Amino acid sequence: MIKKWISAYRMSFIRTIVYMLQASEYNLKDYFSWLIRVKSFKSVMYRKSLVLTTKTKLLLLILWLMIALGILAATVVGLSVQFPVIYKMFILAALFILMPVLISFGITIPLWLGNIFIQKPREKIIISKARSRLNDNKAIKIAIAGSFGKTTMREILLSVLGAGKSVVAPPGSYNTPMGVSKFINTLSGSEDIIIFELGEYYPGDVKFLAEIVKPDIGVITGVNEAHLSKFKNIENTQATIFELADYLNGSKLYVNGENELAKQKSKFYDSVLYSSKGCGQWIVNSSSTSLSGIDFVVSNKVKSLNLHSNLLGSHLLGSLLCAIEIAHQLGLKDDEIIKGVANTDSFEHRMQPKNIGGAIVIDDTYNGNFDGVIAGLNLLKSLKAKRKIYVTPGLVEQGSKSHEVHNKIGQKIGEVNPDIVVLMKNSVTGYIVEGLKKAQYEGSLRIEDDPKNFYENINMFVSKDDVVLMQNDWPDSYN
Amino acid sequence: MKTVAVIFGGRSTEHDISIMTAISSVIKPLELSKDYIVHAVYINKAGEWFSDAKLKDIKFFQSGNINDWMNKTKSVRVLFKDGLTLIKPTKFGESKISVDIVFPAMHGTHGEDGELMGLLEMSGVAFVGCDMTSSAIAMDKVLAKQVTQSDGIISTPWVTINYSSVAKSSDLALQKIDSLKYPMFVKPAHLGSSIGISRVKDQEQLINAIEVAGHYDEKIIVEQEVSNLIEVTLPIIGNDELTLALLERPILKDENFFGFETKYMQGGKKGKNSDSKGSQGYSELPANIPKDIYRNAEEVGVAVYRSLGCSGIARIDMLIDSKTKKVYFNEVNPLPGGLYAHNWRMKGISPVELVTKLVDLAIDKKNKDDKYQTSFNTSYLKQF
Repeated sequence: MIKKWISAYRMSFIRTIVYMLQASEYNLKDYFSWLIRVKSFKSVMYRKSLVLTTKTKLLLLILWLMIALGILAATVVGLSVQFPVIYKMFILAALFILMPVLISFGITIPLWLGNIFIQKPREKIIISKARSRLNDNKAIKIAIAGSFGKTTMREILLSVLGAGKSVVAPPGSYNTPMGVSKFINTLSGSEDIIIFELGEYYPGDVKFLAEIVKPDIGVITGVNEAHLSKFKNIENTQATIFELADYLNGSKLYVNGENELAKQKSKFYDSVLYSSKGCGQWIVNSSSTSLSGIDFVVSNKVKSLNLHSNLLGSHLLGSLLCAIEIAHQLGLKDDEIIKGVANTDSFEHRMQPKNIGGAIVIDDTYNGNFDGVIAGLNLLKSLKAKRKIYVTPGLVEQGSKSHEVHNKIGQKIGEVNPDIVVLMKNSVTGYIVEGLKKAQYEGSLRIEDDPKNFYENINMFVSKDDVVLMQNDWPDSYN
Repeated sequence: MKTVAVIFGGRSTEHDISIMTAISSVIKPLELSKDYIVHAVYINKAGEWFSDAKLKDIKFFQSGNINDWMNKTKSVRVLFKDGLTLIKPTKFGESKISVDIVFPAMHGTHGEDGELMGLLEMSGVAFVGCDMTSSAIAMDKVLAKQVTQSDGIISTPWVTINYSSVAKSSDLALQKIDSLKYPMFVKPAHLGSSIGISRVKDQEQLINAIEVAGHYDEKIIVEQEVSNLIEVTLPIIGNDELTLALLERPILKDENFFGFETKYMQGGKKGKNSDSKGSQGYSELPANIPKDIYRNAEEVGVAVYRSLGCSGIARIDMLIDSKTKKVYFNEVNPLPGGLYAHNWRMKGISPVELVTKLVDLAIDKKNKDDKYQTSFNTSYLKQF
């Protein structure tokens, strides 16, 4: 506690506070829990640093003004003849000791006021403009919801459908109302298909987004413990994601049949399940995976298609099948579908292979969910390598299930039995180690205190014919 | 954990290269291994020794503040007792650090040439790489050829020129090289990194090249170029049992030899599709040559390594006449020029594994050398 308090008395404290607000996406609940949880303000900006925007510059200015006011107040008290010396000393000491608390909590007041009087009205205007713009847009809208795999599904649909239609989607992880609305306001109106990811952070989020986007087709990629710390229980997560199904109310809905929680819930809706065995009219006759991708043959009652995707991992077969079925339904020709599938490629930080001096390093660091971890480990198991190296910090936001989830991860890692396991040290490391012990893992275990240094120097640890799988990410806000 | 001192810099034309090698190829992987406590020991161009954690960061050297820092900082002292001890100045006095292993990372003169190794052998500390004798021979291109020739290893025809004897009259030089055919290479006998080397096609170029080489060294070697040339290099590690890396073939530019600029300044294949810099991005790995020539080159490389008494690590440069299939010994590069981590990585040994293996080899060598008796009690003095 004392160490934390002392660490606030640095010139960089102001920037650190604003960084914490920015990294929490100005969600005050997340910011406060981070503020309470942090052990030292000295090491907060570890992986990333403050990005200067209009908002952050304003916050910095306000904070400096608060400090200036504090100094002024201290000066006034100090020069005042009304108070006895002992009282003055007490007030000045209190101001000095409480300054970090006053600053770090006090900044939320102008933020909150700004949110109510400036941000929210602004957002309302942007979202309203987006709604009416999208109403006039004749494109087919596809919405994707799920605890995991949304961005992967978006990219697959973009590639497959893009081979025969004009398809657009918001860039990056624009899956919030503001992000989606800003994107909509840039549309030209000439698009054939628009694909949206519907981000879920709290109950009601998916419903709100669905009402903006008004999808014609929905895809639910799965339900798991991601963001459980916000949802509190898995039923809330399930219900929130299926707000998309509620909205669609009988329109085309595709659901990941390989995810038990999604499959269970899908029974209450008119939906088409997709899996690595098939989707709709398509069944998978054969498939094989390697470091160069997935080769598979699908057929319906009339024909069969030989397909190749550059994506890694058989767990993505289901998503590809879903995209093929949607493409077929939307009128794409066979050669367009084949070309579209061939265009699918790994996305940044999602099962993205890189060659480093003859070693293949698969960067799956944007994967943030249990199913993704299992899929990655299954891929690692299937590959041939001189050495297999598995790297993870664990999963954030697993809430009350964290111990159980990480135990399972540890056990799965043990079963796959890579030659080397590298764990980035944090609050869940012990749980993973427990799981490894249960699986009687006998390979080499390394616990890394400085993850950034490790990732930046991965090339020093690998050699030709090694395969390294790096999964998951542990942002500063979870330290 | 064992303590490793990495010594780099020095009074050498390759001083800056040594800094880069030490920090990126030695200190960084040693620290990443987490098996050692690593101390950086820097010898500046004036020959003063310093040791500080700041010296592990290349940005410190690039910042331009190093000279100011050295002016304000006390040198590190070295104590030759129970091996090697560093006496480092601290804020409140001094601290003594007992060194278990030294990792030399000095290129060129007053370091790579065996001078440092001699000091280390005297102290009795374990150190990585070739000993004093083989380092001194390796550093002298003439001596290296003479020693290997005695073991039946062929080199392209060559002559030695002493610069002071030919400086006044070029006729002497021309007489000496009479037995050689153009084109030829003129090289300072003791330098590395292709500094001072010229390729010459006629007498005028030859005289100029001798002048250039003479700026760096009294002893100059003139070598006849190999026809139908394939240039290869082979890193080898080991003491008794040897492990060979891949035979590597530098891809030659218009200059027709792998000069300093190409090696260190051009970022390999102009940075395109390559995450390596310098020579590391500019070679065929493994060399795409017929299998019989490949094997022969490996055998010659091993023969040279043994002939010169190398230990730890060294890299053997060879010239191959692709028509006659003859493999000629060219020169040998002990530490740190012999490291070539990019090659070892392709062979299957990561940079971290490479340095840890080298440290292990150093310890093994010391343990073996310690078994030899080097002193004993006599009554010799009593007779006086």
